[in-house]
Amino acid sequence: MVLKIFFPQCCNTADSGLLVGHWIPGHNSAVVLAVIHYPFIPGQVKKYLSELQSQTQVDLTVLGSWSMPKEGQEGMDSFLKDLSTIFPQKCWLQLSREIGKRGFICQVVQNNGKLLQDQEQKNGDESSEGDKIILIHYDQRKVMLSQLHPVQDVGQKSDIEPSELRLVFQTVAQSQPLFFLDKYDDGPLKLTHWQSEGREASIIAELLKQASVPVCIFLTWLLSLWHWFCMVLKMLFISSKLSTCVQSGYRTVHFKTVFSPKKAATHMEFMRKANIFVSFLLDIALGLLLISWLYRENRISKLADTLVPVADRVAKELQELLEWLMGAPAGLKMNRALDQVLGRFFLYHIHLWSSYIHLMSPFIERILWYVGLSACLGLTFALSVLSDIVALLTFHIYCFYVYGARLYCLKIYGLSSLWRLFRGKKWNVLRQRVDSCSYDLDQLFIGTLLFTILLFLLPTTALYYLVFTLLRLVVVLFQGVIHLSVDFINSFALFAIGQRICRPYRLAEGVKFKVLCQEPGTPLHLMMEINPLKCSSVLRCYRTPTYSCYPKDSWAALCKKLFVGELIYPWKQKTDKTD
Amino acid sequence: MGADSGPGAPAAVPWRKVLYERQPFPDNYVDRCFLEELRRNIRVRQYCYWAVVRETGLIAQQVSCVAVFLTLWSYMEQGDLVPSAVLWVCLGCALLGYGLYEILGGSCVRERTRLADLQSSTIFLAFTFGFSPVLKTLTESVSTDTVHAMSAVMLLAHLVSFPYAQPSPPGSLSLNAALFGSVCLASRLPGALHTFTMLSCAVLVFALWPCLLHRMREKAEWSFPWAAVLVCLAGVRGLGSLWPEGALLLLLALLTLTLVCPLLLVHLQRHKDNIHGPWDEAEIREDLSRFLN
Repeated sequence: MVLKIFFPQCCNTADSGLLVGHWIPGHNSAVVLAVIHYPFIPGQVKKYLSELQSQTQVDLTVLGSWSMPKEGQEGMDSFLKDLSTIFPQKCWLQLSREIGKRGFICQVVQNNGKLLQDQEQKNGDESSEGDKIILIHYDQRKVMLSQLHPVQDVGQKSDIEPSELRLVFQTVAQSQPLFFLDKYDDGPLKLTHWQSEGREASIIAELLKQASVPVCIFLTWLLSLWHWFCMVLKMLFISSKLSTCVQSGYRTVHFKTVFSPKKAATHMEFMRKANIFVSFLLDIALGLLLISWLYRENRISKLADTLVPVADRVAKELQELLEWLMGAPAGLKMNRALDQVLGRFFLYHIHLWSSYIHLMSPFIERILWYVGLSACLGLTFALSVLSDIVALLTFHIYCFYVYGARLYCLKIYGLSSLWRLFRGKKWNVLRQRVDSCSYDLDQLFIGTLLFTILLFLLPTTALYYLVFTLLRLVVVLFQGVIHLSVDFINSFALFAIGQRICRPYRLAEGVKFKVLCQEPGTPLHLMMEINPLKCSSVLRCYRTPTYSCYPKDSWAALCKKLFVGELIYPWKQKTDKTD
Repeated sequence: MGADSGPGAPAAVPWRKVLYERQPFPDNYVDRCFLEELRRNIRVRQYCYWAVVRETGLIAQQVSCVAVFLTLWSYMEQGDLVPSAVLWVCLGCALLGYGLYEILGGSCVRERTRLADLQSSTIFLAFTFGFSPVLKTLTESVSTDTVHAMSAVMLLAHLVSFPYAQPSPPGSLSLNAALFGSVCLASRLPGALHTFTMLSCAVLVFALWPCLLHRMREKAEWSFPWAAVLVCLAGVRGLGSLWPEGALLLLLALLTLTLVCPLLLVHLQRHKDNIHGPWDEAEIREDLSRFLN
């Protein structure tokens, strides 16, 4: 049987006294949390420990005694041995140090009086398991602040038995109230633990903590007003289409999380709050940078001046494209009459669009100036506004795409149905299959005529559909890139990465052991160091869930939709409900 | 498998063809009565040569119908025929055919009322007339060779899928293929009225004529061979005025089809070897029509 004792490094040089800690249930190990020094009254020690037990929910007990030899304190050893009778234990640990030696000497007395020693059996019998003791040193402050991954909350009921390491971490983290009293305090008990090395405090941090609660309450009230306003806006259908509205709604939800007056209960909640707050600050900073760049040297008016000519250029290019389609594009033979009809129809649309743009041109600069100011709300806002502007400017392409797709879809549907008529079959809706059918003479006749007409007009419609679909896909791709970058800014866990780089011990993946001292006559001494989480795991674990733009259909489904002529909306946005 | 093979000596008990009893015979015992119930060719019909020739007339006349149609189209394309004249002739033929149909089917109960017939013809006429300008421009951009090839394939499909056994409601695929081919050809004609005329001819020849022929076969059996011969002659003559070699080929084909193929069929009957036995599916022999009334 191997007995593991976790010993804090800060107590290596502590004066003699009692070891206070916790036996890990189910595993043969103990965690030493603090050392109580002389003089003490055993009754007070017991009272203090029971008080702490109710506060921390950790079963704190006196584990044993610790003796550090000093001048003027001879006879301490016998006194320490007698203490085992005062504090009844199953196992009583007796750790002691000698001057000049690195290792500790450890003796364990069990309840039945048997002595366990760390020495090997005298008779040299290899087969019997020698009772071994391993002393594992740990940095108490780091272990207290660290969080073991994958995260399992303390109050959570989980099927998996927490491992020994997890129990050790949990014990140290939960014993925080133990570390309030120190050996420098004027109290009945004098303890040594990590705080004895020096207490750190910061006035500013304390002031901020005090001030944050009323600020949070005020901001929550503001947010509720804003949320009510957004509800009203949501009635408008268009608000779900404009990405700016979506982004603002999303940020509102974020703020609600961050500014709620309730303190974060679990580690994950705290990390999420911190991540959202930090990424929001970064967003604002980038936005202000953008504003300072935009509004310098009158760039806004330059931008406005180039906007109308660009829109005109797009219209002219579209017109030329249509003229090309109305001729004989790429040598393809089109049906002249249908060609002319479709071409003229689309040309008229472009003409309407250009006149609309020209009507708006005097106001563009003013509008842009105010819209540019919205970048102070964050870079994500500026990008969303850009995406919306692009959508508005290419609205005519969207219209053409819808017309072309609908015409093509109708044609394909009609053709497939009439092809079945051609063969003398029909679609059985009840059985969802193709059945034979005896048609009437006039049905056959009209069906064949329509089939012929649709078949010969197919190349023309297909070409128009192809051209406009390609244009639409280009626009959609551009918008998709913008959305992806917005999404990235929203979901990047900056705070977690910062913690990982600056304070790597806070996010622990596991531990590694280093051998400190292996002398005969002393137990094995190991140093436990925290293994920080990998950066990729940090990113994956702490990613803020967003309305991530992901393609709604797989490639195969998308191609099929394109072929049949269904309208495609390639980027789907998850609503909050599915988060 | 020969007869009585195997080492088993026949016991006093005769062998029975059952599996649910243990018999004192080995597993591979072959009895004397093996394959007693085998029958050969019990349902082979003996064809009479001239009867088969008579039936083949239907196929021959269908081929000639296609030839007649192609002749008409060719004349209209060359401009020798005035569309309005052809249209009047078509109308006359249609009325004549309808009258004949009514006379021949006098005792039969009508499936469709006269009103329904009138409705069908109105729909057809209106539709075709309305769509003929569209139909005319359909194949403008397609090359002539493609159009001819498509029509040829479609008319061939029509001939192949024609329901020779039951031609009265014309089969979907055959009629549609014929109409598709005729639309392809009609769109090559110079004017919209030409297109309309061509389509009317197509409906007459491919949709209405088989119905009339079937009625004639049912009611006046003697008239069928004369009608078939008339159509074949018209086809050959029409083709001959355009392309004499083609007419010769058509004549040869028709003769082969009508005279040589039945000979082959009758000659090959003696190689028939169908076997029937107790393993066939059960056939109901009694007359079940008493359940129908």
